[in-house]
Amino acid sequence: MFEAQEINAEHKDLIHDVAYDFYGQRMATCSSDQYVKVWDQNAEGKWILTSSWKAHSGSVWKVTWAHPEFGQVLATCSFDRTAAVWEEVVGETPGPSERGIRHWVRKTNLVDSRTSVTDVKFGPKSQGLQLATCSAEGIVRIYEAPDVMNLTQWTLQHEVPCKLPCSCISWNPSLSKNHPQMLAVGSDDANPINGGKVFIYEYSENSRRWIKLETLNSVLDPVHDIAFAPNLGRSFHILAVATKDVRIFNITPDNSDPSGVTKLDVQTVAQFDDHGCTVWRVCWNVIGTVLASSGDDGTVRMFKMNYVNSWKSVAIMKGDGSLAPNDGSKNLSNALTSISQTARYIKLGSIITPKEREASWH
Amino acid sequence: MNSKLEIVWTPHPDKFITWGSDICLYEVHPLKNNINTNIKLCNTNGANLISSNSNHPFIKCLDVHPKVDSDLLMAIGNLYGKVSLLSCGPSSGFDPQALTGKDLVPRHSRPCNAVLWNPVDNNVLAGCLDKYRSDHAVLLWDIIKFPPVNENNAAKLSMNTVQPAVELARPVAEYGISESAHSLGWFKSNSKQMVVGMNNKNIKLLDFRDPNKVVISNMTKAVYGVCVDPHNDKHLASYLENQTFIWDIRNFEKPIITLTHLKPVVKIEWCPTKYNLLGTLQKDSSCIILYDIQRTLVGNEEIEPSVLERSVLPGSPHNITSFSWHRSDESRFLTIALSGSIIDYTVFDRITLNWGATSSVVWTYGCKTMKYIQDNILNDISYKIKKRAKLEYGLKDEFWKNSDIADDDMLSNVWNWLYLSEQLVENNIFGDKDIVKNMYYKHPGVQSILKIDANTNKSELVTFNWADLGNPNCSGSVRIFKHEDRQRAMHLCSWDFESFTDEILEFVEHLEKDHAYTRAAAIAVFNLKVKLAIEILGKAPDHASDGHSLQIVAMALAGFCDDKNSTWKQFCSVLRTKLTDPYLKAMFSFLTADNYNYDNVLNENGMAVDDRVAFACLFLPDNKLHIYLKKLSDRLLEEGNLDGLLLTGTNADGIKLLQRYLDVTGDIQSTALLAVQAFSEEVSSHAAKHWVESYRNLLDTWQLWNERAKFDIMISSHRPNEKHSQQVYVSCNFCGKSISACIQGLNRPRGQFIRMGNAANNKLKVSSCPNCRKPLPRCAICLMHMGSKTESLNSDIENNKVLEFAHWFTWCQTCRHGGHASHMVHWFKEHSECPVTSCTCRCISIDSITSTMFTS
Repeated sequence: MFEAQEINAEHKDLIHDVAYDFYGQRMATCSSDQYVKVWDQNAEGKWILTSSWKAHSGSVWKVTWAHPEFGQVLATCSFDRTAAVWEEVVGETPGPSERGIRHWVRKTNLVDSRTSVTDVKFGPKSQGLQLATCSAEGIVRIYEAPDVMNLTQWTLQHEVPCKLPCSCISWNPSLSKNHPQMLAVGSDDANPINGGKVFIYEYSENSRRWIKLETLNSVLDPVHDIAFAPNLGRSFHILAVATKDVRIFNITPDNSDPSGVTKLDVQTVAQFDDHGCTVWRVCWNVIGTVLASSGDDGTVRMFKMNYVNSWKSVAIMKGDGSLAPNDGSKNLSNALTSISQTARYIKLGSIITPKEREASWH
Repeated sequence: MNSKLEIVWTPHPDKFITWGSDICLYEVHPLKNNINTNIKLCNTNGANLISSNSNHPFIKCLDVHPKVDSDLLMAIGNLYGKVSLLSCGPSSGFDPQALTGKDLVPRHSRPCNAVLWNPVDNNVLAGCLDKYRSDHAVLLWDIIKFPPVNENNAAKLSMNTVQPAVELARPVAEYGISESAHSLGWFKSNSKQMVVGMNNKNIKLLDFRDPNKVVISNMTKAVYGVCVDPHNDKHLASYLENQTFIWDIRNFEKPIITLTHLKPVVKIEWCPTKYNLLGTLQKDSSCIILYDIQRTLVGNEEIEPSVLERSVLPGSPHNITSFSWHRSDESRFLTIALSGSIIDYTVFDRITLNWGATSSVVWTYGCKTMKYIQDNILNDISYKIKKRAKLEYGLKDEFWKNSDIADDDMLSNVWNWLYLSEQLVENNIFGDKDIVKNMYYKHPGVQSILKIDANTNKSELVTFNWADLGNPNCSGSVRIFKHEDRQRAMHLCSWDFESFTDEILEFVEHLEKDHAYTRAAAIAVFNLKVKLAIEILGKAPDHASDGHSLQIVAMALAGFCDDKNSTWKQFCSVLRTKLTDPYLKAMFSFLTADNYNYDNVLNENGMAVDDRVAFACLFLPDNKLHIYLKKLSDRLLEEGNLDGLLLTGTNADGIKLLQRYLDVTGDIQSTALLAVQAFSEEVSSHAAKHWVESYRNLLDTWQLWNERAKFDIMISSHRPNEKHSQQVYVSCNFCGKSISACIQGLNRPRGQFIRMGNAANNKLKVSSCPNCRKPLPRCAICLMHMGSKTESLNSDIENNKVLEFAHWFTWCQTCRHGGHASHMVHWFKEHSECPVTSCTCRCISIDSITSTMFTS
């Protein structure tokens, strides 16, 4: 039942990021070897390397896909102090398949940072083509392509100073018009004296700038990754933070304040030190009900929401893909029963009525 | 004695050496049951001692010959300057050069600080010695070719203060008279050069082809642990006390990086399997700190490097005294503590991971591989959502069909209840259906149906004597409340029979058919038909309900006596707590209740919500009924239990309940579908719009576009006011007037293509502009006008059937040439350029997504 498949990545150095596209059918990887590689899944489900190119002159930290309605577009950021936007184009000379060779072209190089650019993320598609970067000097930059047909033109819309070196950034993916754009930024600053390491910013339509709404003061250790769960209509946002442990926060916005400034109610709903050491990455499944994390203990762990605010470890995989023994599966079945407990008895009466009438119709 | 304890991997991948007062050679074995291992290194590996040697008590430094051979050749430098060659292999017999046991002795005795084999020219061995007035500090030997003894100097050389009797093995080169050397490193790219930390004040780069000349040197006190990056000869590292320095020999004056530690450094070593990774060990600590040195070029200039620090706890129980990287296994090292405990540890590469929309989780494993799995092992709600979406869950207008697809009790209940309440409204149970729909929203809930209150709209109190109902043992009575609203509410709870009449028989029969014997019996008892309940339980097969033999329960029930002091009542009150079936518990709670207090029944959570509500409608007085329903609906709302819709109905509270259900479960699908199907547009707030948008986006992510389109169609059937505009307009080339309007009467254009010449219905064909009567464009292949019907030119088209789609007119978005869809598809199977003469547009490959679709 459980089997990890393998892809031969053949990067020459540590792979820093791997990103799926919107549909989960393409994948991009980036590495300290300064290369970016793009993989496509063929009809048999195998991943085929379709492009590989030297993208930067330093370690490439992150790679991310734009929504496909903007075309096949990637953004990368690097230790070489730049972020870049890439687009896949059809070559001028027809290839062997007579359809033209596709290759990736650098559309723009964003050179505003004076230090390593540590993360890059495209904004939600409802806001057009926006790109957020953050850098080791502690500045979040928001770029926008005013003309989505022309990816060579990007304007620097906002520079938001964070005071601490930034390591990661995450857009709130909510599609609701009621939620102003929101960004969470993490810092890998190691000094606890500098206070909380996660900041939440919101775009204020009135003042046309990004405002810091909240600092998560409970996170004092360096933060390596941060991820908003897909919102999918929930009344609150879920934020996962990778620091010395895995933390999950529920963030409930309250727009009732007359001044138009959103107030946030932030609750720590889970804290897992299962990794026992630094947590490196966190990411969510497509509906935000399961969180996966990776840590320096060389494992991938999964946490699932049983009930609101109640999270449990459900699976542990070793790096080589073998399933580590976990009592999680037991927890899982418990979780399932507890959800449907109140409905253990089928309301038979209500089933009978329609069935019977169905029979009489024929 | 020497208290230090060091560890080093040999070039042999499974052997390592520890040395302190003894030299011990170990071999690593995987931990298995059949192999006995002396010491455990980690969870998977153990080690056996192969040999040990205690003849060298004053050992100061050690290096293993880099050549992998059956024998391991070691050079050992001791406190008195003697360098001994020692073989420690398993086969100690064959030694062609008779090197084992050979001693290389300096002229004057002083500690030998370091010995190191040349990594390229393997016969060359270098040693570093402390200061001696008239002797050299760095000595170089060639163990194969000792230079011939020079006649003139022979006498002078043979004198030595250490072992006068032993003939000196002459060094091939010497350097640094009356200086001291602390540590050294060889370069991989140039076997003639080495770096030496000297005199506590500089690191010198020496070239032994000209030993009198120093190539470069710098001024630094950090002369300890000098080592050259194995992947980059330009970089070296050295340490002093609690600082480590990284040097670039092209710019040797200043260190490029200074790393400051809390405690003095004991050892540093570059990782041989990783680029730019330096391991360091500090005094009195049990962790190894790794520094990943990041360098980059901006333009052509190398900018200041930065360092990623990472501390690794191998799990040593005591402070580590030394560590050693494995020479070929990625990121593996050994540590040793003063207690002698050895740990074999592999540093995990930082794993990065991502989760795709296709439910696959990918993560990296080392530099070379990635692993991915499907997340279906988790049995997550997302999996169910996808499965249901494919079965067109929630799109059926007959709600009960959705309940079959849902495959979940709570959701099935909801859809069934929606169906039930819809039927009740249609059948005018709550009065005229049009008025009801305006009054109560689409699906009225129990709370809105019950308009009774304690003052003006009172329920009628009816008292029954148990004895009159055929229970001869009883003397007491039971109170029930009657009101037409109560009766309606009970209909909503699926008790679709007149209470206390024989209509119940039909209802109970259905329950029995579904083997819900205890429920049937309980409902019979609640309708005061104890005899009926006994019959039902008597008919039940053995062990129909877990653990209970229902016949025995029937027997107990037969003795029903409501006298307070009767043995029956006393026993039942006690024993009912031992029952597990909630309906049996509720039944006995009801029969043993005192003073019309039915809390035990009402709070029996195992009972379905609608049965509890129906029970409350029978037996609770008006004010208590309202309180109870309020409490119950609040609790169900808190739990996000959709059964609460029965109470709230599809009003604003119902939306709140849906929101809570979504918050608890993440089931956006059912939430969005229920909001659209069951709630009227006025009630479903903007939250519902957000749900619909989110669900549509989810379906798109899964590429369930057809399902999404059907969902859209379903929504528009509920929201007739929302019209979607046309996507494409076609106008005449000559007069510029729209021809779409004319065609629209025939076919409604949808999607990217305008459908022309509908094969089935071609009463009216437009092949010329309806306004100016000029002909419409021609198909580039068959040269027929748009709108004219064509026979398929290519009978070899798969399945040889003229599809309707084949006659659609389509064109390239870029060059705006086109023709019949089938002709175009056929043309582009073999060509990449436009079929129109002299048009070089590569229509088919312009959009990379199209080409992806074609190739896959």
